[in-house]
Amino acid sequence: MNGHTGLTGASSEAAAGSWTRGEMMAVAGSHQVRDDDVVVVGLGLPQVAALLARHTHAAGVSLLLEAGIFGTAPREPAMGVADPRMWAGATAFGSLLEVLGAMLHGGRVTLGMLGALEVDRWGSINTTQIPTAGGGIRRFNGSGGGNDVSSHAGRTVIIMAHEPRKFASQLDFVTSAGRKVGDKDRAELGLSGGGPSEIVTDRAVISLGAEGPVLAAVHTGEDPELVARDTPIPLLMPSGGPVVTPPPTERELSLIRSELDPLGWYTR
Amino acid sequence: MAEGAGLLPEGGHLALCGFAISRNAVSFVHELIRAGRAHLHLTQVVGGLETDLLVAAGLVDRLTYGGGSLDRFGPLASVNRAAVAGQLELFEYSALALSLRLHAGALGLPYLPTRSMLGSDLLDSLMASGEVRLSTDPFSDSPCLLLSPLRPDLAVAHVDRADRAGNCSIEGPVWSIPETVRAARAVLVVCEQIVEMGELDPSRVTIPGEYVTAVAVSPRGAHPTAVFGRYDYDRKHLELYEKAATSGEEASREYLERWVLGVADEQAYLEAAAG
Repeated sequence: MNGHTGLTGASSEAAAGSWTRGEMMAVAGSHQVRDDDVVVVGLGLPQVAALLARHTHAAGVSLLLEAGIFGTAPREPAMGVADPRMWAGATAFGSLLEVLGAMLHGGRVTLGMLGALEVDRWGSINTTQIPTAGGGIRRFNGSGGGNDVSSHAGRTVIIMAHEPRKFASQLDFVTSAGRKVGDKDRAELGLSGGGPSEIVTDRAVISLGAEGPVLAAVHTGEDPELVARDTPIPLLMPSGGPVVTPPPTERELSLIRSELDPLGWYTR
Repeated sequence: MAEGAGLLPEGGHLALCGFAISRNAVSFVHELIRAGRAHLHLTQVVGGLETDLLVAAGLVDRLTYGGGSLDRFGPLASVNRAAVAGQLELFEYSALALSLRLHAGALGLPYLPTRSMLGSDLLDSLMASGEVRLSTDPFSDSPCLLLSPLRPDLAVAHVDRADRAGNCSIEGPVWSIPETVRAARAVLVVCEQIVEMGELDPSRVTIPGEYVTAVAVSPRGAHPTAVFGRYDYDRKHLELYEKAATSGEEASREYLERWVLGVADEQAYLEAAAG
């Protein structure tokens, strides 16, 4: 997410008409949010994508945070979901048991938006640990509410940079189960929500269907074959080929740059 | 604060109520580090600075948590390092599942069922620990997990206002503070401000005094973490901490010497760190 140059080769200070990969990812992520969605938002780029949706086509969306925040509407960039800036303008404060319990486990959350260290072809997520070259392991932040979101949300959208190492044929650790684990599908495992439905990257949108991952869309300027080549899990092609995500609008870029992520923490 | 530390036996089970970079009981944790209370079992639903500090000080043998970080400031570097080095026995839950274990403890229930964590690798170490069991819902016959209740010896929460009976109010979101304090056998509330009996609006009492064992007053005691509506996190200090913690054991040790062990008390810490 950091340090990518724009698709047009422009720097992060690019004039209108160019954008960074992170900005494209936030915009494509925002397209996944509907006006009537009730969303639990995870740490990182999902924050920007969800807020962008709320500022554009999904003004009615309800954004929840695991710390117990309902209807959040922050007005300045936040260091994460535990930063009180991220809670500004909320409609109600409650508890984690309320947001992740009554709202999410209770089946009231239609959409979860999560980042990931690593995903597999069924949308299982690893945010816990990866092996190191020396044969050891490196630990990361772990589940937080991520497992709960992926387990119970009506659907889950994973937003992450399109780096080959982030697509694994076999995860080192399944922090959150996707549509299938091994040969068992999620209903057999006892999971209630629909599971991960899309992986939105800075290059493409991958839909997670019953047959496996489908390259549903590539972002403007991307070649589907090159995207598929740089994705180490096999991707199915939709009949007629992937659609093309339109370029970010002036308004979307202006919202990201002036309000949602002015310091480029998430999108540059 | 000292009497609070006294509620926790050596090797006891402590639950902390901060959330990443918000409302951490830093002044209490500093006191515990100065007292050198070791071999703790620590529980925190979403790990934050207070947990990373205690692990950096080498006082924690076993950590039960739902993952955690310092938001964009970085990972819980001491926790991650100690776990990889085998110096810390780590049990990772989903944040909801751990809250449910505390809720079961609070209510005196034999267990609570959940569908969180099914199909995940989190279950391997949790089932081996004997605290989580894979079972079948007797009504629907579908798989579910049974979570054993959790009863920490002491829970410590940093709150806004408290009276001497321990009634206290918390402004803003409360994440897992309600379950954590209600599950514990003893509760220390550390408050920003002490108020007269009867001054708190009963509609806004987050933790009734009946749950509370001791009250300590510690204005700005959550520094460098934030307290909603009162003060922001201290960006510079969190960056300084994270730099030390990610640099390794030696830099962490130097941080603790400089900011915790090498200062007389919280007053001195705040004067040096927060100005």
